Amino acid sequence: MNEITLEDVRRRAAVAGITLRDDRVEMVRRLLNEALAPLRRLDANAMRTTEPAATFDARGGDDGR
Amino acid sequence: MADELVFAGIRDLGARFRKREVSPVELTETLLGRIAKLDPSLHAFVTVTADRARADAKAAETALLRGDARPLLGIPMGYKDIYDTRGIRTTAGSALWADRVAEDDSTCVARLQAAGCVMLGKLITHEFAWGIQSPGHHFEPARNPWHRDHIPGGSSSGSGTALAAGMCVGALGTDTGGSIRGPASFSGIVGLKPTYGRCSRAGVATLSWTLDHTGPMARSAEDCAYLLQTLAGHDPLDPASSREPVGDYVRALERPLRGLRIGVPRDFFFDGADAEVTRAFETAMATYRGLGAEVRDVTIPSIWDSPSFMVIMASEAFAYHERDLRERPELYGDLLRERLLSGALYTSAEYVQAMRLRERLRNEMLDVLRSVDLLATPTSPKPAPTFAAMWDASLGFPRSNTPPFNLSGLPALALPCGFASAGLPLSLQLAGRPFDEETVLRAGHAYQQATDWHRRRPSV
Repeated sequence: MNEITLEDVRRRAAVAGITLRDDRVEMVRRLLNEALAPLRRLDANAMRTTEPAATFDARGGDDGR
Repeated sequence: MADELVFAGIRDLGARFRKREVSPVELTETLLGRIAKLDPSLHAFVTVTADRARADAKAAETALLRGDARPLLGIPMGYKDIYDTRGIRTTAGSALWADRVAEDDSTCVARLQAAGCVMLGKLITHEFAWGIQSPGHHFEPARNPWHRDHIPGGSSSGSGTALAAGMCVGALGTDTGGSIRGPASFSGIVGLKPTYGRCSRAGVATLSWTLDHTGPMARSAEDCAYLLQTLAGHDPLDPASSREPVGDYVRALERPLRGLRIGVPRDFFFDGADAEVTRAFETAMATYRGLGAEVRDVTIPSIWDSPSFMVIMASEAFAYHERDLRERPELYGDLLRERLLSGALYTSAEYVQAMRLRERLRNEMLDVLRSVDLLATPTSPKPAPTFAAMWDASLGFPRSNTPPFNLSGLPALALPCGFASAGLPLSLQLAGRPFDEETVLRAGHAYQQATDWHRRRPSV
């Protein structure tokens, strides 16, 4: 994945059915670019399988709810 | 009434109430007078509930005369205006909800009110906890009492302003990416983001389901401990609420600090930090060494993945707001609308990968917390920015050190640790193991026993 361009933002917006103000496209581009930078560095296949989760117990694991 | 009483803490006020040196009614009237005087220029409150406050204070006074010794009895509070309050409007700082009145109290408000707190009113929030109000918005943004050209932090902006200016004793905030700790940092007060699931979010407007936290804000770690004691605990109305036992946060404050191990992650958290911020932080670490703590550097290998936080927050926020954004976009402020819309632009695969990165980061933080008891960082790399900078869409978001602890769900406390040369507060962030708020608050309290940054007041 490369850096996000203004054209990428416009294309993604069109796919999502979203209209962005012209003077805010650059702001949105920067938001996406910074947020996606870690994903650009990621080799998703090499990463150890982890479950998306956000629950804890005092030991740091599943709290059994 | 002297500033000394207006800025008094919960334990001190309770003692004075019981000795009848001052009554909750007198204190409440004083604070209502202070709000009337200061708030027209500070804009911390959306709604002042004066009649309710007087009724609450009178009830507290009656209970005190009966010998009721509950610690929060008669304590005047402000509630961030995304917490539902029965019969009182809850606006979320948005034109969309300008006249919305909830049928029930949020769980946090209900618990504090049941504990005897006095409801002074509802405190302005950045619009739906994300978009600072621009000029022309339906609501005025709160101003920073230390310098009114600067933001007080957000999104719990009114909470930060009201506490710093002595308009309430405690407040509620919410924290999705730093919205309790940011205002604590920029306004020179104390804010605790408890562990994810520790405090209920039932009846609180959603920004991002897997990142949203509720928690207390006050002027000391001790006051946060008193408030957390009442707020913490399982709530079946919040699907993420934990059944983990509630600690004794107030008693834990007195345990000695000697032997506590503090880890300082140097990567990421000091990137772009002002020299004054770094100096204040290192001075705080020296204070901890003097208190008997061991301070050493630690490494969190994936910490630079933290910005993927925005993929999660924006995607979830768009999911929550999509219908209103499509049907009534004109009711959103300009800055917020475009930020929310950005959440539609991530792919589902990107959301999943961001959640995987989040889990890896969380596991690494938990690994580090096997060798140290706390992590310490500056709360913000820089002091409060100006409104002009925040309103300029071309400048983007200021860097923040708070989102990693929303991703990991770990408890994190922000507390004052100095001032920049411009007179703006600087802040220290302490994060601990899941559900170990006791250690986080104890370390914050010990620091505040050794320093007086939290006792400095803005000239209002």
